[in-house]
Amino acid sequence: MRTSIITCAAALLLSTVAYAAEPGVTDTEIKVGDVNIMTGPAAFVGKGFALGSKIAAAEINAAGGINGRKLTVITEDDGYIPARSFQALTKLIEVDGIFALNGTSGTANVLAMMPLITEHNLPTVVTEAPAKLVYTPVRPSVFTFGANYEDAFYAQLKYIHDNMEGKDAVYGILRQDDDFGKDVEAGFNRAVKEFGGKAAVRVAFKKGTTNFSAEMAQMKQAGVTVLANGGIFAGAANILAEARKLDMKIQSAGVWSEGIPASAALSAPAGYDFMVADYVSLVGPANDKFKVLAKKFVTDDELSNISRYTYVAYIGLKTLAEGMRQCGKELTRTCTIEKLRGLKNFETGGLSAPISFDNPLQLSGTAVGVYQFDTKANAFKALSEFKQY
Amino acid sequence: MRTGHFKENPGQLVALSDSRVVWTWFAGMLCVMVLAPFLIGNYGLTLVVSSLIAIIGAVALNMLTGQTGLISLGQAGFLAVGAYSNALLLTDYHWPVWLTLPASGLIAALISLLVGIPSLRLKGLYLAITTLAFSFIISHVILYAEGVTHGPNGVFVKGATIFGYDVQKGVPLYYLVLGLTVATILAALNISRTRIGRAWMAIRDHDIAARVMGIDLVRYKLLAFAISSFFVGIAGALMSLQLRFVNVDVFALILSIEALAIIILGGLGSIAGAVLGAIFLSFLPETLRLFFSMFADEKSALFTDYVYEIRGAAYGVVIVLFLRFKPEGLIGVWKDARKYWSNWPLAY
Repeated sequence: MRTSIITCAAALLLSTVAYAAEPGVTDTEIKVGDVNIMTGPAAFVGKGFALGSKIAAAEINAAGGINGRKLTVITEDDGYIPARSFQALTKLIEVDGIFALNGTSGTANVLAMMPLITEHNLPTVVTEAPAKLVYTPVRPSVFTFGANYEDAFYAQLKYIHDNMEGKDAVYGILRQDDDFGKDVEAGFNRAVKEFGGKAAVRVAFKKGTTNFSAEMAQMKQAGVTVLANGGIFAGAANILAEARKLDMKIQSAGVWSEGIPASAALSAPAGYDFMVADYVSLVGPANDKFKVLAKKFVTDDELSNISRYTYVAYIGLKTLAEGMRQCGKELTRTCTIEKLRGLKNFETGGLSAPISFDNPLQLSGTAVGVYQFDTKANAFKALSEFKQY
Repeated sequence: MRTGHFKENPGQLVALSDSRVVWTWFAGMLCVMVLAPFLIGNYGLTLVVSSLIAIIGAVALNMLTGQTGLISLGQAGFLAVGAYSNALLLTDYHWPVWLTLPASGLIAALISLLVGIPSLRLKGLYLAITTLAFSFIISHVILYAEGVTHGPNGVFVKGATIFGYDVQKGVPLYYLVLGLTVATILAALNISRTRIGRAWMAIRDHDIAARVMGIDLVRYKLLAFAISSFFVGIAGALMSLQLRFVNVDVFALILSIEALAIIILGGLGSIAGAVLGAIFLSFLPETLRLFFSMFADEKSALFTDYVYEIRGAAYGVVIVLFLRFKPEGLIGVWKDARKYWSNWPLAY
């Protein structure tokens, strides 16, 4: 009897110790971290994202949580500064003891966090910055959701070539002089080469540039009719404003950050029906359904902040939760990573193409849809379904 | 018994301090710092390492701006030079870290001479803009010299070991950074007491008068740039060790602004002020976070919706109020406090 009690006690103690070693998980709660841009000029990215996490967590918790455990999302601000992203993730790991990570800010930010992510074997779904640098080389615990800028620009230029401008189009590109800009130019190069088009002007500019008068005058001089607009937020709007000043007749392909209401409002006054390509849906029944769901969990004020970043956060957390759910009660990081690696055709309710991480790059959601902003209706319309490019 | 400013021999004049109490406090503080890894958690240690790196950078900038009067907005550029030198020498050329650290400082010092030469004819805002332009040139070079710098992709830093210890994280990194911080502070204190330090102060106070007194402006201004940049380069190298990743986005202009804010808040021209300023600005965001989490009701809509804006605004307000009511900086507060306790109970 005595031996049995001791054996049972030892087994219980061992199991407790083994389980307690898994950070961020208790009998009632699972903590997920989110490092995001909550302050500064790009704060609306982080705010939109945090909203998506909030809605996903609330929906999961309302349905009983993950195998009975409540999901808690802890957000830390990095102000879009990579050194702060590193510090924020250190805090989330060491102080809050998170189990997994959903929000990862921009490309340089997620790369700055990468040593910590790999060191702690932290299950991570990257949805905001699906750059090639994030998934090559493959890190075992990192799963990437989203297309790259190369495909996004190629998709738009192909649509313009097939449906609008044809063979005589003259192409021009304005892009940032960094990794993001290089991806944009890769899509541009691919399109121009394939269509046999004339690439008249290629200009690289420094991040934060606001005056594009000289660059756009160069475009006008060269007779550019199709513009790959690699500016973001105010930069993209300023490029279109300059084009309008010069009375240029152009079709403009843009970055998916221009698909959010705040960016569209900045670009709209120029009067161009500009395009964006995105790996999440911007308009349609799936978005309407999402907004109905969101109303249950967030305030009216927050509803106005819904953007593509809300959708990517929602999809990211739902995907992460699915990996955790498949592990059952014995939730570990290793198990979650294994289950995510085996994830196939996980439905996102039409907000994106189904998610499958069962590929060597652990990459999904690479299909993009093309959208156009209708300045008269002040809304986006879908031009094509999600498609691999 | 201390006799205020009365010195009896030249040795006392150049001593860092003639007070046993000061040395006792210094030794005590050093003991606490040595024991810190056993007293605070990993996150606390990360914050302390960041603040120690900020101290090195601030003390170095203080040599240039506080002591010599040369305003620089190029600190982010020098940090980038140090960080990239360290990262590339370690990762691509497999140099040992004990060699890459001084090499990073030396490379930053050599490059600073290029900026220093135009500075010989420039002062004030004109010099600030020149150094700012240098920062842009550095980020341009990093982006376009892809064959050497890996361009926009950045560099993952690995392979930094000393005596078998990985000095990129945890306690070994802490001790490395602590050692270099103490060395930097002692070097700065000693330099300020040498002919070089006094020449810098003479240039700051009135460069024409300094020249009349026989101070070679070319030599001492270039020395200020080189010595300051050497330490900033080392701070950048340590940053690259801590982050384990460098790319141009890590060295944004905001770093140069923060560096200036640190030495102004601390008390321009004072090494102790630079140290206090670095500690203050490094820990202010964390202190505000703790403050808000203690006193704000997390369920209130105001807190959940606007907590980050409130914290950001509070950060700015604290700095503005501080400069308004204590323009001499933290070192002024420190001196007031010291005077109060020295004269207690007869403080006035």
